[in-house]
Amino acid sequence: MTRRLVWPLVMTALSAFLLGPLILVVVFSFNSNELISFPMGGLSLRWYHQLIGDDAFQAALLNSLAIALPTAFISTVTGALAAYTFAEWRTRFGLPALSVLGLPVLLPPLVIAIALVVLFARWLDLPLGRPAVICGHVLVTQPFVAAVVAARMASFDFTVLEAARDLGASRFQTFVKVTLPQIRAAIIGAALIAFALSLDEFIIAVFTIGGGNTLSTFVWGKIKTTLDPSINAIATIMLAMTVSLTLIALRLTRYRG
Amino acid sequence: MTAPAVKRIAALAPAYGILAGLFLVPIALLFAVSFWSVRSFKLEPGFSLDAYIRTFTVYGSLFVWTLLMAAAVAILCVVIGFIFAYGARFRVGTHGDLFILATMITLFGGYLVKIYSWKAILSSNGILNSLLLGLGLVDQPVGWFIFNRGAVIVALAHFLLPFAILPIYSALRNVPDITLDAARDLGASPWAVLVKVVLPQCRTGLVAAFAICFLSAVGDYVTPMFLGGGSAIMLGQFIVSEFSTRFNWPSGAAMSFSLMGASALVIGAVWLAFIGRRR
Repeated sequence: MTRRLVWPLVMTALSAFLLGPLILVVVFSFNSNELISFPMGGLSLRWYHQLIGDDAFQAALLNSLAIALPTAFISTVTGALAAYTFAEWRTRFGLPALSVLGLPVLLPPLVIAIALVVLFARWLDLPLGRPAVICGHVLVTQPFVAAVVAARMASFDFTVLEAARDLGASRFQTFVKVTLPQIRAAIIGAALIAFALSLDEFIIAVFTIGGGNTLSTFVWGKIKTTLDPSINAIATIMLAMTVSLTLIALRLTRYRG
Repeated sequence: MTAPAVKRIAALAPAYGILAGLFLVPIALLFAVSFWSVRSFKLEPGFSLDAYIRTFTVYGSLFVWTLLMAAAVAILCVVIGFIFAYGARFRVGTHGDLFILATMITLFGGYLVKIYSWKAILSSNGILNSLLLGLGLVDQPVGWFIFNRGAVIVALAHFLLPFAILPIYSALRNVPDITLDAARDLGASPWAVLVKVVLPQCRTGLVAAFAICFLSAVGDYVTPMFLGGGSAIMLGQFIVSEFSTRFNWPSGAAMSFSLMGASALVIGAVWLAFIGRRR
């Protein structure tokens, strides 16, 4: 009987290790204490109130959205186009060619970040800022989009498209009425993943933003100096955004491991 | 060229244009910079190996420590990740999906939050110490939880564990139950089933997990900066300072390429040892 409990206990303990640190941050964001330690104080929204009135936080949130939205849009278009084209082409070079897109994810983000800074500052003589961050984020999010869309395309039935064409539909009609409805969920899911990745990304952002802050560099500024309790509230907001985006994306793409 | 070929190339152009213009070209330029030199804070193009020599003379031992720490993190992740993935696949029935979901919910977010949380847990006035004090297990706060290599390894392993679990789990999903049943029916002990049936069938997943975790850990500088204490303990921290405060781009570039080259060797060796042998 005890042997039966071993695995559930091991799995629960490991899950607690994975999620515990995050749950702590969320719990303490609603705590009135200044310090993150036990015993806890009362339930309070004071850190959230403090945040909402903070101009620097609002500016960082705005910056993050102004970066994550274009990033998600661009990388979804480029990544999905690449994945779809190779699936339709049915060439055996499709998969290797798509994995080449993933190269930037294999290098440390630090190297990508400094390479972009060198490119912008030394060779192109362009200022750093939001466009530079968007460039870096598109580079590291488009492989995820391509992977999600390619996984969906693996079970896509192309004969349906031929049927539509035979029945007199134009190429455009076929795409809008037959192709798109079938792969829409995967594409939206991929876009949400790109959005979440961009919101959370810190290293490329901190190097290429120039002036100003994104949410993650704002958090960085705060944790570098003190253990300011309002960090818990920002962290909870960021987690709430990325986790809910991830959950919706997982549901849409039916991704399972 | 035929019409569909033109269309295909047009459809592939944006993604690969971005890859070339924002990755291949900048990385090539950075590689070129690693052979330049710096005189009184000004970059001088040329061909000099000084930056590489500097990497190995000034940062030699740190370089080795960085590789060792990344290896420790990757091994920890592969071992714990395998236990978790194996449990989810074979040992908890239909609850497996739930456990995998638990690993995936923060896959695309939470990088800084996790590091910050470990600082809040491990610091001398943090959660762990206040718990221990409250329970009367210690008289005064324990100082060695944080600001050392161990803290960095724990935090990095925590951050990277999901990236190890998923490739291992997807490899284990391809292991048919029937092969396990067959081995058991033929009298294999649980241990023999694990070592002779399960592990060989998922070794690509294990090596992939090792590679992902090693590569992510080796270049990290934020975690050691927060949890590693006053003096820098990983090469990434020095790459950052060479770039931002010392303005020695060639040195920072040479350190980056040396680190990536060494990582490629480590992963190549692991691949050869566990997969290459089969041929």
